Amino acid sequence: MPMLDIKNLTLEMVSGDTSIKALDKVNLSVSSGEIRALVGESGSGKSLIVSAICGALPPQWQLTADRMSWNGENLLGLSNQQRREVMRREIAVVFQNPQASLDPSATLGEQLEESIPDEFVRGRWFWQRAQHRKKIAISTVHKVGIKHHRHYLSAYPHQIPSDIGQKFMIAMALVSQPSLLIADDPTRGMEPTTKTQILKLFTRLNQTRSLSILFVSHDLLAIASMSHSMTVLYAGQTVESGKMKHLKKRPLHPYTKALLDSAPSFRKDLAPKSLLPTLEGSIPTLQHLPIGCRLGPRCPRAQRPCVVTPEVRRIHDHTYSCHFPLHMEKL
Amino acid sequence: MIRILARYSILFILTLLVLTILSFALAYLFPGDVLENLTGITPQNDMQREALMRQYRLDQNVVVQFVHYLGDLASGDWGYSFSSGLSLREEIGIAMPATIELSFYAILMALLIGIPLGYYAGIRSYSVSDKSINALSVTTYSIPVYWFALILILIFSLNLDIAPISGRISLLFDIPPVSGFILIDIMMTENIDKGLAMRDAFSHLALPTFAVGAITTASVVRLIRRSVIDVKNRPYITAARSRGLSGWRIFSQHVIRNALLPILPLMAIQITTLITNAMIVETLFSWPGIGNWLIQAIYQRDYPALRVGMLAVSTLVISLTILIDLFNRIIDPSREKYERATV
Repeated sequence: MPMLDIKNLTLEMVSGDTSIKALDKVNLSVSSGEIRALVGESGSGKSLIVSAICGALPPQWQLTADRMSWNGENLLGLSNQQRREVMRREIAVVFQNPQASLDPSATLGEQLEESIPDEFVRGRWFWQRAQHRKKIAISTVHKVGIKHHRHYLSAYPHQIPSDIGQKFMIAMALVSQPSLLIADDPTRGMEPTTKTQILKLFTRLNQTRSLSILFVSHDLLAIASMSHSMTVLYAGQTVESGKMKHLKKRPLHPYTKALLDSAPSFRKDLAPKSLLPTLEGSIPTLQHLPIGCRLGPRCPRAQRPCVVTPEVRRIHDHTYSCHFPLHMEKL
Repeated sequence: MIRILARYSILFILTLLVLTILSFALAYLFPGDVLENLTGITPQNDMQREALMRQYRLDQNVVVQFVHYLGDLASGDWGYSFSSGLSLREEIGIAMPATIELSFYAILMALLIGIPLGYYAGIRSYSVSDKSINALSVTTYSIPVYWFALILILIFSLNLDIAPISGRISLLFDIPPVSGFILIDIMMTENIDKGLAMRDAFSHLALPTFAVGAITTASVVRLIRRSVIDVKNRPYITAARSRGLSGWRIFSQHVIRNALLPILPLMAIQITTLITNAMIVETLFSWPGIGNWLIQAIYQRDYPALRVGMLAVSTLVISLTILIDLFNRIIDPSREKYERATV
């Protein structure tokens, strides 16, 4: 049974008399103890899904879903207070841009200590509690791989390098000991060594604490090495979803195949100095979304039926939405 | 910290220097005799004139004159008024505190009413209460202060007769000016009914303070509301909300300070408007402040008074502006990054 289960999530942005479906019937589920990768180009709606899960969308956007449940509870039906309780203890989010997601006028230590749930803090008097808070903060900071806690806990966000900021965001997410961590592109703009550190940290947390992770990224190489399953997103539609190894070995959707082909490290047969295969064109803007399958105009296999949105089809636990999937011709 | 203080003191001193140069230049720029403009004394005969010229170093070059002028300013010899013949230092010493008092109460009103109202409107942005607060503040802000003050006089003094039209305190009370601030002076005066005097002083204060304060309050409300709405849409507020912090905690820990930081310099700019307004209102209410005094000086072509009055008012404005800026610099940690290289 999945912890987070989202079915047919649709997000409509209404401005004036036009409405744009930024997310169109997105399906996503995260089982307990797994690392689920959410992959897609920039502008495919990955961050929107993250915002939708943590309830940070502007109220004028219409969010509808057949099912959006967290451990059996309907997330959309919760009151603000209950929703906050879930976000405080069970789901933690690491946002894309650490510098912008940290309060510029407070020190990192204050912000980290603020995220510690009161239940974790022992001590009768406020100074004992403050001391214990500080201890928790320091140990959490050490856990994410920041050594100079004395320096960084009293620093302001503008004084730290961005990878430390990112690690701090992770520390703030982990300090409440959540059961699901949503990491929205946590390794963006990092140098490879730091990136590896962060990814290793995620894998370790997943193995030792059975922390489930929803890993949002477009860095295929990072994802392939650590995640168990993957959901591919294109222009606000879920394209394909399934176990990582199945998807890697045999993608069923043309877009997944194009995505995997465009990463050189997955292509062992690529001749030197040859062009990487890529799809023509670029991802459509929200104002000019094609009808039906949104990949249509770029898809090498597109035919007349593609103007109708394809149904979700399923082979075991591998789902895809395509009228002409890649395995058809082989059958 | 010491470096910051030193930096701001240098800024303050340099600005004052420029102002004194300007004020010195006014003695030459005003029509009439330089000696008279500078000293305020009209020499009766050539001998006295010679003596004054020597005393004020007017027989030497401009630089020596200016240095001597600086010394005079520092030692308190600011010249004499044409019209009253009194020492300008004493006249300003009485008029300036009256203006400071009026402006202080107006600022107090703006802060005590404007800041909470602005935060409330910003937090409840685009609701009915926010829109009404905003409409009210835009209306108040758009009314010219002299017209607003006249309307207040018309309604409260002439029609309702609940507040006096003019002055600082009823003439029945004999309050010798010690500090120049009427409320403090009342407390220090012997042999009067202090309660009655206080009540009288407050009823005289109410209308001018309200006239000056309302407009400042309106602008403070608008500044804070805008800033709170900006801060509310920042990613770190979203991030704080996604960590499950309570609304009150987000407001008290993250919104208040971040909303206040960018508008403190803007508030410093408001000081100029405030003092200008105070000077206009003083004239209307015959409040014995520096504005009223300067207007009288203009009417009577009292050039020495204008020269020193300009210097006094601008010194007040600049000290306040620099103080607010310094305060902002000290409490805003992110200002440091503009002075040093970032990582």
